Amino acid sequence: MRRQFPRAANLGLAACHTCGKVAAESLGDCPRCGSSLHLRKPNSIQRTVALMLAAGVLYIPANVLPIMTVVELGEVTENTIIGGMISFWKTGAYPIAIVIFTASILIPLLKIVALTWLCLAASGKLHPSPGMLAKIYWFTELLGRWSMVDIFVVGILVALVQLGNYMSITVGPGALAFAGVVVLTMFAAMSFDPRLLWDRLEALEIEPPSPYPEDP
Amino acid sequence: MVPWPRPPGGPQQAACHFCDTLHEALPLPEGTAARCSCCAAVLYQNRPASLARATAFSLTGLILMVIVHWFPFLTMDAASLRTTLDLVSAARALVGQGSWILGCAVVLFTILTPLILACGLIYVCAPLLFGRAAPGSWIVAKWLNKAEPWNMIEVFLLGVLVSLLKLNMVADVHFGMGFWAFAALMLCMAAAVSGIDRNELWDRLELARL
Repeated sequence: MRRQFPRAANLGLAACHTCGKVAAESLGDCPRCGSSLHLRKPNSIQRTVALMLAAGVLYIPANVLPIMTVVELGEVTENTIIGGMISFWKTGAYPIAIVIFTASILIPLLKIVALTWLCLAASGKLHPSPGMLAKIYWFTELLGRWSMVDIFVVGILVALVQLGNYMSITVGPGALAFAGVVVLTMFAAMSFDPRLLWDRLEALEIEPPSPYPEDP
Repeated sequence: MVPWPRPPGGPQQAACHFCDTLHEALPLPEGTAARCSCCAAVLYQNRPASLARATAFSLTGLILMVIVHWFPFLTMDAASLRTTLDLVSAARALVGQGSWILGCAVVLFTILTPLILACGLIYVCAPLLFGRAAPGSWIVAKWLNKAEPWNMIEVFLLGVLVSLLKLNMVADVHFGMGFWAFAALMLCMAAAVSGIDRNELWDRLELARL
């Protein structure tokens, strides 16, 4: 037998994005906090796709252009994100190389792939499998901010390493592009509405998997 | 202090933000969470001593912010030169090199957002301890929601550790008082923000307005 759950949207009810109150969507504005009510985030998929495309385009200069330039005793070295990671790896600082690889390369890339997947599933181009997708969505929401770490590293190094002729560090154009990637993917994850996935499940009459193993 | 009161007007409802399953929002014992029966996402949590905790941790956070900006963050000895770093100087160096967008981003994510969160939580929660809503606490509570994801204190802390390892090859770097205060600030802000559930905060605000 199919497990049945009452869904708010089918009853014309919407949970307020801001305060969480459940109210009839026909009211227009939340009776408690005055934010506008929507059954689903408006134009969720279009917005997510647009922001993601922008992030994907910026991802290229973010990785190709140097994020900082080190001038050491007159010798100029351009540092890209990947280059920084490799130099850590070569000096044997494996944990930190892995952290940088995860935060700066893996997370933004996985986020773009994951959101593409989520959008495809929500718009019906792919089979929605909520157990897996729930984990992906959680991942994109929670881990995205950690990519910002490279921007902070650049900021700290630029402020700290100003040793005149001996050594100085300046910001490269890649840093701005990379910050753009992080902020855009954060906005993209925020504009995605995971409830659309469950709408697809309902439309396809697929039983949602029970998250409680002890349930009969 | 009164445990989570419910606004009048029939049974309260909660819809899962993740799968939109509608639930009756039953009162919970303190320290427990209600989970969605369909997807197991957390619906709402009843935090023990929520208002007092949110206020106390935010106040501590504000004090720590003063320490963070008053004392040096890191000091570096290299080539017989001593440079000190604080949060603002990192942003200022970026602005000074022409990338004012990045400078603003650093200020926004590590200074302004935590400040907005701490001040906002105190402004909303402290009067609620006495069952009152401060004027405009509506708008402030909405801003708290918007500001929350942009608080990147913990990310900045990781950034400090990474740059430390980078600099270890060329210089002697020491942690200043500011750094330790910043680490404590990270814990305080996490405790303050998760100290009170959004639904509880708004239920209390609604009651205080009546």
